[in-house]
Amino acid sequence: MNRRRWTALGVLAVATAALLMVAPVIAHHSSAPFYDSTKTVEAQGTVTRFLFKNPHSFLYFDADENGKKVEWQIELGAAGGLTRTGWTPDTLKPGTPIKASGRPSRAEGSHGMCCAKITRPDGTPIVSGGRVTDEQQPPR
Amino acid sequence: MADLLVWIEGTSLATWTRESPSIWAYPTILTLHTVGLGIVVGMSTVVDLRLLGYGRRIPLDAIVGLFRMIAWAFALNAVTGVLLFMSDATTKGRQPVLYIKLSLIALALWNTVIARRIVGEQDGESSRNRLVAVTSLVLWAAAITAGRLMAYV
Repeated sequence: MNRRRWTALGVLAVATAALLMVAPVIAHHSSAPFYDSTKTVEAQGTVTRFLFKNPHSFLYFDADENGKKVEWQIELGAAGGLTRTGWTPDTLKPGTPIKASGRPSRAEGSHGMCCAKITRPDGTPIVSGGRVTDEQQPPR
Repeated sequence: MADLLVWIEGTSLATWTRESPSIWAYPTILTLHTVGLGIVVGMSTVVDLRLLGYGRRIPLDAIVGLFRMIAWAFALNAVTGVLLFMSDATTKGRQPVLYIKLSLIALALWNTVIARRIVGEQDGESSRNRLVAVTSLVLWAAAITAGRLMAYV
């Protein structure tokens, strides 16, 4: 390859890197294949299981939907990321009432969400002093 | 089989990999797995390109040492790969794409052994040697694709 091509390649590489840095939604890989970022769903219920693990954690809760019990699954960040936001495996014990809003799963008929904002039913943070804005909630 | 997978996932090593919030647990293991992949496939690609005629001024015996590097990096990936598998054995053990990936790696390694002999014997260019090189490039690309798909299918 001649020098001009190498230069073009270098510029392309730098531009790509810059693009990745200003696109924090691509935390480590996009959630787009699984979740619809153009929609928001909200649900309220009580925690049944909290799987605090790598590479992604999962929170399960039972919600009441027109008299029927449905189990929701929220995909969260890695154990380390959750720890840095102040969460531990004991933060959401079974029986804890929560409210969650996030991007719905694309899977037909499923009750899954990601990128969720999770609070107590009255909208206050789960961890005292915690943050409740969507973009700072685990996961991304 | 199912019982075995449950047992593997329940070992303390698997639990540590899966549940530790430490940067030295899962993130480090996964990073080493990626670095090892870069070395194995990167060095293999150097050999393949040389067999295809790039850099003919480099004598074949000058690149024999690369196979040693490939072997060590592969060992790193075997170890980190086993750890990653253990942490999520009940899910990964049921994914057909994992077995496709492992089969592709087995074929690629077999092909690497052939390439090692070609380079070691200073066997020059031939259509057979070019076929070995192209096969290597294709198999490693396919193995990477299968591995990446494990997160999606």
